Amino acid sequence: MKAPTSLPIFSSYEFDSRFYDEIFTKNNEVREVYQTLFNLFSEYSVDDFVNLNDKAKDAFFNQGITFQVYSDQETKEKIFPFDLFPRIIGNDEWTKIEKGALQRSKALNLFLWDLYHDQKIIKQGIVPIELINSSANYLKQMHGFNPPGGVYNHISGTDLIKHLDGEYYVLEDNIRCPSGVSYVVGNRSALKRTLFGVFNHYKSFNVSDYGENLLEVIESVKPKGVDLPKCVVLTPGVYNSAYYEHSFLAKQMGVELVEGRDLFIENDFVYMKTIKGLERVDVIYRRVDDEFIDPLEFKKDSLLGVPGLFKCYMKGKVNLVNAPGTGVADDKAIYTYMPQIIKYYLDEEPILNNVHTYHCSRPDELKYVLENVDKLVVKPVDESGGYGISIGNKLTKEEIEKVKETIKESPRKYIAQPIMSLSTHATYIEEENSFEPRHVDLRTFTLLGKDVDFVLKGGLTRVALKRGNLVVNSSQGGGSKDTWVLKK
Amino acid sequence: MLARVANNLFWMGRYIERSEHLARYMNVNYFSSLDAPNDISQSRQFVLRSMLFVADEEELKETKELEEQDVLFDIGLNPEKSFSIVSAINNAQQNANGARDLISTELYESINTLKRTVNNYDKNRFVKNSLFDFTTMITANVASLRTKIRGTLLHDEVYAIIMLGIYIERANQVIRIINSKYNDALIEKVNFGSSLTKSYEWTTLLKCVESYDMMRRYYRKVPTSHTVLDFLILNPHCPRSIMNSLNCIHSYICYLSKDEMPHKDSAAFLIGKLKYEHEYKTIEDVQGDLKGFIEKLVDDLSLVGEKMDNDYFSLY
Repeated sequence: MKAPTSLPIFSSYEFDSRFYDEIFTKNNEVREVYQTLFNLFSEYSVDDFVNLNDKAKDAFFNQGITFQVYSDQETKEKIFPFDLFPRIIGNDEWTKIEKGALQRSKALNLFLWDLYHDQKIIKQGIVPIELINSSANYLKQMHGFNPPGGVYNHISGTDLIKHLDGEYYVLEDNIRCPSGVSYVVGNRSALKRTLFGVFNHYKSFNVSDYGENLLEVIESVKPKGVDLPKCVVLTPGVYNSAYYEHSFLAKQMGVELVEGRDLFIENDFVYMKTIKGLERVDVIYRRVDDEFIDPLEFKKDSLLGVPGLFKCYMKGKVNLVNAPGTGVADDKAIYTYMPQIIKYYLDEEPILNNVHTYHCSRPDELKYVLENVDKLVVKPVDESGGYGISIGNKLTKEEIEKVKETIKESPRKYIAQPIMSLSTHATYIEEENSFEPRHVDLRTFTLLGKDVDFVLKGGLTRVALKRGNLVVNSSQGGGSKDTWVLKK
Repeated sequence: MLARVANNLFWMGRYIERSEHLARYMNVNYFSSLDAPNDISQSRQFVLRSMLFVADEEELKETKELEEQDVLFDIGLNPEKSFSIVSAINNAQQNANGARDLISTELYESINTLKRTVNNYDKNRFVKNSLFDFTTMITANVASLRTKIRGTLLHDEVYAIIMLGIYIERANQVIRIINSKYNDALIEKVNFGSSLTKSYEWTTLLKCVESYDMMRRYYRKVPTSHTVLDFLILNPHCPRSIMNSLNCIHSYICYLSKDEMPHKDSAAFLIGKLKYEHEYKTIEDVQGDLKGFIEKLVDDLSLVGEKMDNDYFSLY
């Protein structure tokens, strides 16, 4: 369907009525919340947008919001593509998202406590024990351990999409080391530099208070007996693609950004090597995955971690944020039990929808999946970053047969869901010098501490830049948008 | 502050300072030579050799005819040459990146933007007709970086470490530039019979370290070897002098070591010793054996660097 406008910048905007378009209604009208922005954009020519787009790119390069790409010949500095058209979320819509995201984080935290203690939810037959037994992410070492403040998933990233029915659905919970929050702030600052005029016309929440709330949360879970905790951010180093985010978080909190080689362990306490000698560290917001944090306990050849760190943690001398072993609760198989998990621990109905899921481990559901691969998204249970996903309606007959064979080989490894139609949003496409509809999702960021919680009023809207593509992950060529949550 | 990060900050300071001296040396020497008073000081080979001498003496070992565009490219924009301005800026940015959480957003962004500008600079334009634009762009940007260092950072240990890098590098560069211009004046004397005391090179030297106007105000006379060396080495009020740098290095290292009595093997002790030795030196002492003085100072400054490494960065 052609966009109902004669603006040259929308000349190639043709939206597909099979999807929910965030800008235009089915009746070809601009949605109310976008009306002002749309009118403002109509004052710009195509050249203006080419110009603004270059300016936005410069803003990212100059601020060093970049990552390095290495090849044999040279090292290249790249930016994650940023889109000029912001995503706007109305206040009522947001309130539901915020409550729902917090509800899920709290339920997941209680679930993790239970899994690593009495396992009541399993004993009562609500979540099958096989899911835990077969999970590579269940850390036996954590069994019976009480993390300081009783918190496992201090930082959660919840990925949401808007379906054709206009409702949000949660696609997955990320409670290991969810990333992207620095881009929420970076996108806002880039948009302010390029299109400052548009901000006068909307009252949106600012997103710069994440750092202070994060610090409050991680200080709240200090180890026993510590008065003023020394907190640090642990990064794999400058060559990591998320280094910008790590330095951003350390700076926002005003704490040190350390690498594994800066830390040192003595008598089960963790110290950092400073110009004045050793200084004790109490809370580590680690952006290094579980398996790399301690070569004595996990991957033996890891150079990123600190030998002996896990033992200090077990002895309660230091806290790790997020706790090790959270991965057991955010895999795709557990996801399907989220409505029951929320009900069980909080005695509440889930506020946000879950996508209906078929478990290939169940014979009757496996049968349905094998018969309907063309209508389903088939996902491996334990892969992240959008890898190993097959989307039924994009497959050839041969590919469908191949997917069926793969599922039959190890049904436990796969789940399937109806093909959810991610909503589309106007996105500036450089090659066309025009806005075109592209699929988007939304990642929100929730913090849980001891008696304190926080949901960032905003989020990362990720956009799949290839026409028709549904995978929005940055590792697969996705970009992102500034996301405004409007005040009442 | 982490020892590793302190090391990054120290080198960030050094590389920022280094790029400015290189840029100004190129600029002043090239443009002063255009209307210099004699054939030698006007000779392009003479000027190019002088530039390479300051950038990296090793490069001069092969006594071949120098190509102007090659020399300008190598010192200005050749990323393959570790002594080039582009390498200094890239190193400054990399070190800033390693300490990114500790320095201000404004400072980081300025270094990063400068790095992008220098790396995207048109190489052909630079070697053909933009030497002036490029070098003044560098000196202006470094001045702005210094303002950001002074104005957007807490004056605490982070600041002290960066300033130590800046002043150690400044003392180092100024003494190397003095050495180079002294050599140039000697060459003119040998080849042209001109007076060593009243050589045009002393004026150039003052301009190379941005001290010509200050010197004129102070002495109100045509610069001679005696007054110029006195001013640039021993005058504590000239912000480019060796004495001034030593005083600053001493005060920042005292800040880091607080009131503790420095151990005799420490950087703080050596700096204190150097400072007081120079405070009671006369220009006659220095001129008696200028070459020996320069060599000793270069060695002493490099020893300060080693000791700082030991005292502050070695835990890393």
